[in-house]
Formats: sequence, C-alpha cells, structure tokens
Amino acid sequence: MQMNNLDTLPKKKILSLFMTCGFPTLSQSKKIFNEMLSHQPDVIEFGLPFSDPMADGPIIQEANKLALSSNLSTQQSLNLIKELSKSKNNTSFVIMCYLNTVRKFGVDKFIKSIKNIVDGIIIVDLPFEEESEIKKSLSKNNIHLIKLISPMTDKKRAQKLLKGSKGFIYYISATGITGSNKLDYKEINKNVKSLKKMSKIPVLVGFGIKSKKDVLEISKKTNADGVIIGSALIQKYFDLKMDINKYLIDLRKFITEVKV
Amino acid sequence: MKTYKQPSTVGRFGEFGGMYVSETLMPLLLNLDKSYKKIQKDKKFKKELNDLFKNYVGRPSSLHYAKNLSKYINGPKVYFKRDELNHTGAHKINNCLGQILLAKKMGKTRIIAETGAGQHGVATATVCALFGLPCYIYMGSKDIERQKPNVFRMKLLGATIIPVESGSKSLKDAMNEALRDWIKNVRDTFYIIGSTAGPHPYPKMVRDFQSVIGKEAREQILKVEKKLPDYLIACVGGGSNAMGLFYPFLNDKKVKIIGVEAAGRGAKTEETAATMTSGTPGILHGSYSYVLQDNDGQIKEAHSISAGLDYPGVGPEHSHLKDIKRVKYFGVTDKEALEAFQTCSKLEGIIPALEPSHALAYLMKAFKNKHKNKVVILNMCGRGDKDLFTAAKAIGFDADE
Ligand SMILES: Cc1ncc(COP(=O)(O)O)c(C=O)c1O
Repeated sequence: MQMNNLDTLPKKKILSLFMTCGFPTLSQSKKIFNEMLSHQPDVIEFGLPFSDPMADGPIIQEANKLALSSNLSTQQSLNLIKELSKSKNNTSFVIMCYLNTVRKFGVDKFIKSIKNIVDGIIIVDLPFEEESEIKKSLSKNNIHLIKLISPMTDKKRAQKLLKGSKGFIYYISATGITGSNKLDYKEINKNVKSLKKMSKIPVLVGFGIKSKKDVLEISKKTNADGVIIGSALIQKYFDLKMDINKYLIDLRKFITEVKV
Repeated sequence: MKTYKQPSTVGRFGEFGGMYVSETLMPLLLNLDKSYKKIQKDKKFKKELNDLFKNYVGRPSSLHYAKNLSKYINGPKVYFKRDELNHTGAHKINNCLGQILLAKKMGKTRIIAETGAGQHGVATATVCALFGLPCYIYMGSKDIERQKPNVFRMKLLGATIIPVESGSKSLKDAMNEALRDWIKNVRDTFYIIGSTAGPHPYPKMVRDFQSVIGKEAREQILKVEKKLPDYLIACVGGGSNAMGLFYPFLNDKKVKIIGVEAAGRGAKTEETAATMTSGTPGILHGSYSYVLQDNDGQIKEAHSISAGLDYPGVGPEHSHLKDIKRVKYFGVTDKEALEAFQTCSKLEGIIPALEPSHALAYLMKAFKNKHKNKVVILNMCGRGDKDLFTAAKAIGFDADE
C-alpha cells in the first residue's frame, strides 16, 4: 500500500492551508492551488463546494457560491485534485466536504476516485455516531478520517471520538462557523493539552486564524502542533476586488509570511 | 398488526432522519435529546403545557363540518380541524409552547428560530414575549417581502428580525443561518425549529408537540360520527401540521392518509416544492430525507406561492411513511391552491392560509363526485390573513389603499 503523507507530518509548526475547489473559476483555481503547492505547506485542504455549507461563514459561503455558479461538478473538483497531486511531494492532501456530496457521488466510487491521491478527509456533518461504515471503507483504502473536536466536546466524548484516530486532530478554536470569532488562547491551550494526553497524533487549531501574528501566538501560547488557515486566505480575493493577478501575488506574500 | 414505533433511539425513521451536524452541535443535540426524554415523563411539564394549550391557545380547536363545501364537492363529508382558530392563527404555536417550556427547563436564555411564512416566527415571538426571553428570527428577504403583515407582528411582539440574503432568500436559507447562529452561540441559545425537519430529536419532538391536533380530532370525530374517519388530508411543507394530525391515526390501518405538497408551477417543472414527488433521498439541515437536489447533491431552490411550503426538503418521518406506503403524497400547483383559497372563502366563510389551500385543492380535485358516504378530516392549519397581499396580487386585485 502506498504511503500516507499524514503519517509523516513534522512534530511542530504544522501549516495547513484551506482553499475551495473551483473558486473563483476552475482555471483560476488551478493557478491558486499551484501557487499554494509551490510553498510546499504540510497540508492542503481542498474544500468541495456545497450549496448549503451549514458550518461555514460568509467568506467560504461566497467562495462556494462563486465556484458553483459555473456549474462545477464533483468530478471536476476531483480531477483538479488528481492533477495537482502529481506535484504534491510531501504535502498531505485532505478533502473537506459535506456528506451529501459524497453520498450523491456514491461512497465507494468517491473513495475509489481519491485513493492514492488524497491522504485524509474531513466530512464536516458526519458525526461520530454516523461514521462507522464510511470510516471502514476509508481505512481499507489508507485514507484517514480526520476528526473535528470542538470546545463543546467533553473529555469522555473526545476519548470516544479519538480512539484509533489517524492523521491529525482538527481542533475548532472556538464555537462558531469558519472565519469568525476571537481567539481565546487560554481555553485553546487547556483543551489542546487535554487532547494531547488522549492521542499521539498532532493537534491543529483552525477557525479564526487570520495573520502571521495569530500563527505566532498560537505557537507561543499554546501546545498546539500547528494551524489551519482558510477564510483569511480567501478573504484577500474579495479585498483585492476579485483581481486574480493581484490576488496571486498577495497570496505568495501571505503564505511566505505565515510559514514561520 | 405491528404497532408503529418510530423513530429509533438514534432518531431513525426507517432509514431516514439521523443527526448530520458538525461536532460543535453534536453535544448539544445529544443533551437536548436527553432533556426532552426527561420532561416527557415530567407530570408538571405536561400540566403546564396543557394549561397553556387550553387557556392561552384556546384548545381544543373545533372540528367543523364543512357542509357547503361537502355539497359542492358532491363526495364525502368534509370536516375541518380548525387549528387556524388558535392564538396566532396557525398550528405553529403548539410546538413553540412545548419547546420554550423545554428551553426554560434547560436554563437557556436566548431564543432563535427560522421562519418562512412568518407563522412560526410569530408563534416563536409570541411565546418569547410570554416568557420574557429575547427572540431572534431568521427570515429570507424574499419572504419578508411577501409576508409583511407577519413581519410587523413579530416586531410588535418584541422580536428582532434578521433578514437572510443568501441562496434563494427563503426558508431553506433562513434555516442555514439559524443553524450558524446556534453553532456560534451554543452555550446560552435554544433553537426552536418550526417543523418536523432538522436533526434528531427535532422531527420527533415537533411531531409529539403537534400530535395534540390528531388526538383531539380522533376524540371529536368519534363523538360526532361514531367512527374513525376514512381519510385524513393535510398539507406538507416540513411536515409538522400533517404529522400532528396523522400520528395518532397511524395504527388505524383503515384510515387512509394523504399528504399534499406544493408543486409550484408543476411537479415536473424546475419551479416546484414537491419534495417527495420530484426529489431524491439526500441530506439537508442535518437530516436524511427526500430533498430537491441535482446529480451532484447540490440542493435546488424550491418554488411555491405559499412561503410556508417553499422548502426543498421534508421531515424524515414523511419520507419513511411514503416508502412504507402508509401515507400517499400528491402535488398541487400554485394555481389550483389559489382557486381553492377563493372557493373555500366563499363557501365556508373561512379564509384559509395558502398552505392548507393546497390540501383543499387536492380534496376538491380528487374527491369530486366520489367517495360518497365517506368521512374526511382536513387540517385547516392556518388562516389566510397573512396571505391577503400575495393572493390579491396573484388574482389581480389592487389591495393597496
Ligand atoms: C399555516 C401553515 N401551514 C403549514 C405550514 C407548513 O409547515 P408544516 O408542513 O410544518 O406544517 C406553515 C409554515 O409556515 C404554515 O404557516
């Protein structure tokens, strides 16, 4: 069986970058991911656009909407990921999506299409209680099901969720949707510490990380092994009035900055 | 005969239902489920709720023999279960009272809700006023436009209305935004969902609170007709008024049950809300059920003249009842509903909401000159005051002063 890049993540300062597939258009999306990939981040998360992204804030919602406005299909997103994987090297590829996308595509067909391309998958609205079947098929194909843990998840539940878990733990920095909230380092530290006692895999902190400063603070003030940046990356496209060339330049600057 | 016992402990109605939400909400839903189970056994809670039903809502609602309409149809004897006489003008208040009592028991201090027609928003704002809790209502901007009287009502009742501009700017999107609010404010907020939709335990809980409709109707019809009805008919948006009427009759195999969906401009067109006629199983708002979607699982926008039925999903219990063939579902177009709206007003002196007008339209169409000597109960789940402007516009009457 082929190696899974997530099994050899570095021990500290892991950087994971999230971007919506097909945003703003399929051809521009390819340029954006190529730029991201050229920095060789530890992880790239590919968001599959969904019409009703319940757990996402306005920025990722807008990105989904733009991507879908040109009738982007699931197959096209998967093709894009496959093409990019030729130059993935040590970067882990993770898909982030909603369950309806996978089910409608066909669970088996979906897993077959991403096998040996993608290292992990986050299915936002697939809770522990409903996961067993999909988890089995994924694990047979050496794809890790990444678990989300929120501040609302108590210790007992976290233990249950993390049993046998692989890849990394996605710790949601605060209750809220993507792109929102202020960071409460004390709470993050407390919860991350407790998670690290339960599991050996790295803990990454996501939701609400916006700048180099946030990245440094997380690394300084908490026990987390790395960060996930999503909305802040996408926000810049809108800040730059949707000028793709300016955006690509800015993206390069931003990623260089947060790669501390 | 097997007795009907759904959902399972994990919220499955057959294969439908479940809890498909992010981990931020999961612990809350499990806690809600636990609290709900607890109060179901609580006599004080039951007493409090029954007292509010009686003295605040005006229950039991009457069962009216619609003689003129029956004569016009020249078919069965038609009874209206008149939940449109409830305080706030629809069945929605039954559920809101149940949920706000639960919210109080759970120590929650802030209430949110989604609304389409505004009836659930009004009912939620009403119970919040009664219990002195701050109330935030998510409403699509398209619905704010077509349900103006209810927007003003909610404001008078002290609620804050948050317009939703995303997607189709109607009920589906209002529910997305309410769920996002809940994810953000998990600690102090209670989300009062207005229909038998959403993740477990909502479909069960809302059905249970609404089933007062069917329980009363059962007693009332046995009293006047000395037998059970031959047919039940109700409109289905998310499915709460229908489940409320149907549930207490599900084990009575001789009672035929019909759910009527909004087919908009036609169930075969793109402009429809007839989820079970035109949809396929999928996941929306945390629940596995029939849904209007494309080949990639992107949820389609629904269309109906009735804001309360303008929803691309349906409660999971209806999907189950459809698949086991206990209930039959049909679609009725905007045009047919509008005609029934006018006919019922003229014949019975009751102006129905556009939602039950769909049920009426099906009755007038499918029972015309048929099923004589049979008895039908139709759920008159809301009154038409809120729809006067929409209906006037559609009929071509200038309602502005
Ligand atoms: C009067 C009335 N009937 C029906 C509905 C549809 O909801 P449900 O299918 O849950 O009864 C609504 C929703 O707003 C309504 O206001």
